[in-house]
Amino acid sequence: MKRSHIYRTVGMVWFVLTVAAIVYATRLALVVAPTEATMGNVQRIFYYHVPTSMLSLLFPYVNFVASLFYLGWRRRDPLRAMAADAVAISAAEVTVVFSSLSLLTGMLWGRAAWGIWWTWDARLTSMLLLWLLYVSYLMLRKLSSTGQTQTLAAVLSVFAAVDVPIVFMSIRWWRTQHPAPVFFGGPDTGIDPSMRPAFGWNVLGWAMWGVFLLVFRYALERRRQEREQEAALKSIEGTLEIAQ
Amino acid sequence: MRLSWLFGSSMEAHHLLAAYVAVWLIQGGYAGWIAWQWVCAGKELQPDLSLNSSDDDDL
Repeated sequence: MKRSHIYRTVGMVWFVLTVAAIVYATRLALVVAPTEATMGNVQRIFYYHVPTSMLSLLFPYVNFVASLFYLGWRRRDPLRAMAADAVAISAAEVTVVFSSLSLLTGMLWGRAAWGIWWTWDARLTSMLLLWLLYVSYLMLRKLSSTGQTQTLAAVLSVFAAVDVPIVFMSIRWWRTQHPAPVFFGGPDTGIDPSMRPAFGWNVLGWAMWGVFLLVFRYALERRRQEREQEAALKSIEGTLEIAQ
Repeated sequence: MRLSWLFGSSMEAHHLLAAYVAVWLIQGGYAGWIAWQWVCAGKELQPDLSLNSSDDDDL
């Protein structure tokens, strides 16, 4: 059996399992989980907002590590560096998708719970900054025409990753409009045990989805890189033939 | 269990529905865009192959 067929089969199985997990998790969130006493049904946004936000702080590190590998390999091992670069751009795009949804679901929840769409508090502002940094990364990749685009983007991603711990710690360092940490925030934090299955399944389902997107986008980038290499080789061959 | 409350007229119901639909649409849209680009990147190979075959014919 060809390797590409194995990858395709694994990808399809992963996709089906992921969609099943998300559908099940959504049912738990909307139907099975109890209605929260203070906020009512709108609190159910929590089951999408928190996993999405958690993942939007995880994928930047994939981008960061891949960028470091790119910077390390770009002269010694260009082929490996190209693979690392493909991981980096894939992780940056997935970060933008998840952080966009974190901001959007947060605003929808905030308007219903606080009466405002937005406030310039530490968590929201640092999250917006994270989103802007990764949008800038993608804009740089798209618009720059220098031969050093990948290197510049890799350096930018190293600086962008610095914002991730600031976003995470913002509600611990400063008292903000955003609620205090629900998890890892001390002895009195956490969610009611009856809400845990819905939350856990949503984290699992959306994490599987994020991995699916990352791998699928990586495969696309590798395919594009192969096309560009083929085109460059043909161009060189054509030039050599003309010279002869 | 009924989900009729999800389609109610209150702001809470609207925002909850909008949040869930937005997540599915944006995630699905991005996956669809990757799939579309994947197909397009595969098709880009076709002209190259035909170019090769025409070159071979010339030879």
